[in-house]
Amino acid sequence: MKVKLKIFRYDPENDKKPHYDKFVVEAEPTDRILDLLEWIKDYQDGTISYRRSCAHGVCGSDAMRINGVNRLACKVLVKDVGTKVTVQPILGLPIEKDLIVDMEPFFDSYKSVMPYFVGGEENPQKEQLQSPEDRERFDDTTKCILCAACTTSCPSFWANGEYVGPAAMVNAHRFIFDSRDQAAAERLKVLNDQYGVYRCHTIFNCTDACPREIQVTQAIGDLKKAIATSRLD
Amino acid sequence: MALDRRVGFFEGLKYKGGGPMLAWILHRISGLGMIVFISLHVVASFFTQEMGSDWAISINIVYESVIFQLFIVFSVLYHGINGIRIIILDLWPRMLRYQKEMTWLQWLVVIPIYGLTIYIMIQRMITGE
Repeated sequence: MKVKLKIFRYDPENDKKPHYDKFVVEAEPTDRILDLLEWIKDYQDGTISYRRSCAHGVCGSDAMRINGVNRLACKVLVKDVGTKVTVQPILGLPIEKDLIVDMEPFFDSYKSVMPYFVGGEENPQKEQLQSPEDRERFDDTTKCILCAACTTSCPSFWANGEYVGPAAMVNAHRFIFDSRDQAAAERLKVLNDQYGVYRCHTIFNCTDACPREIQVTQAIGDLKKAIATSRLD
Repeated sequence: MALDRRVGFFEGLKYKGGGPMLAWILHRISGLGMIVFISLHVVASFFTQEMGSDWAISINIVYESVIFQLFIVFSVLYHGINGIRIIILDLWPRMLRYQKEMTWLQWLVVIPIYGLTIYIMIQRMITGE
């Protein structure tokens, strides 16, 4: 089958404004959108730029808007989107070139919530054990691959880049609800801010966009409740 | 130089967020609709007292028109019921897993009540009650 692709293009060295280029690619229904981009780059236009790494939905490099919604190009099949495909960069981050965006603001928000384990003892002599039930509490949010599909699908983030965003909150959730972690109060303080949890208006774009099917809005809801009640149960 | 991060209003609207995003947009539109209605009402009352009734009548024509009334009834109904859905989701985060079902349930409540209201309004218009 022939697939018509319309791809967002912007070259900061030559273009004043972004534009779209059209390509026609011969594809199988089970080909991924990333396969089509690779074909175009190899055989039709070597200048097209996008991020990719593992190509198996694990590294989170190739988040982009595919037919108007955030997806990983390596996880979307041609049969899922049809023969007319529009590919654009994710929204709300500065566009470096074509489908590549500057991820620094995203990672700055991520870093602001202390996304690392803070233990109680300085030199623990043995493992800090945890019950399966306690581990289950934050299991969903351990799956994040930092692709930014959730954060850049959020209208609150589009409106204000200072909003910490769904991905950072998912990663805060992962440690706040870890029974062994000791820095929940500090993380909740960061999130109990005008650019924190209350910018979430339960629009659910993040949950729909997440390629790992994390219940992002529920994680944010847990954080809102923890802040409101000062309890983690 | 990298392109600015700003997302245009219409570019944002083009994002295909589906039902939940539509609910969020309608919540804003219905909220604005109610503000317009109440503002027109207050302004009309002010004009009636201060400048005679002609100004007020011209404003009354706007918000008493059938189209505006159909819009405002929808706004009040939708905004209220969607607000209840959001409150439930905020108070019980576990319910967020069932947000799609709740959005459908919300429409199941809104559509019959709105349909019944339209029916009564049209019936009264026809009979002139």
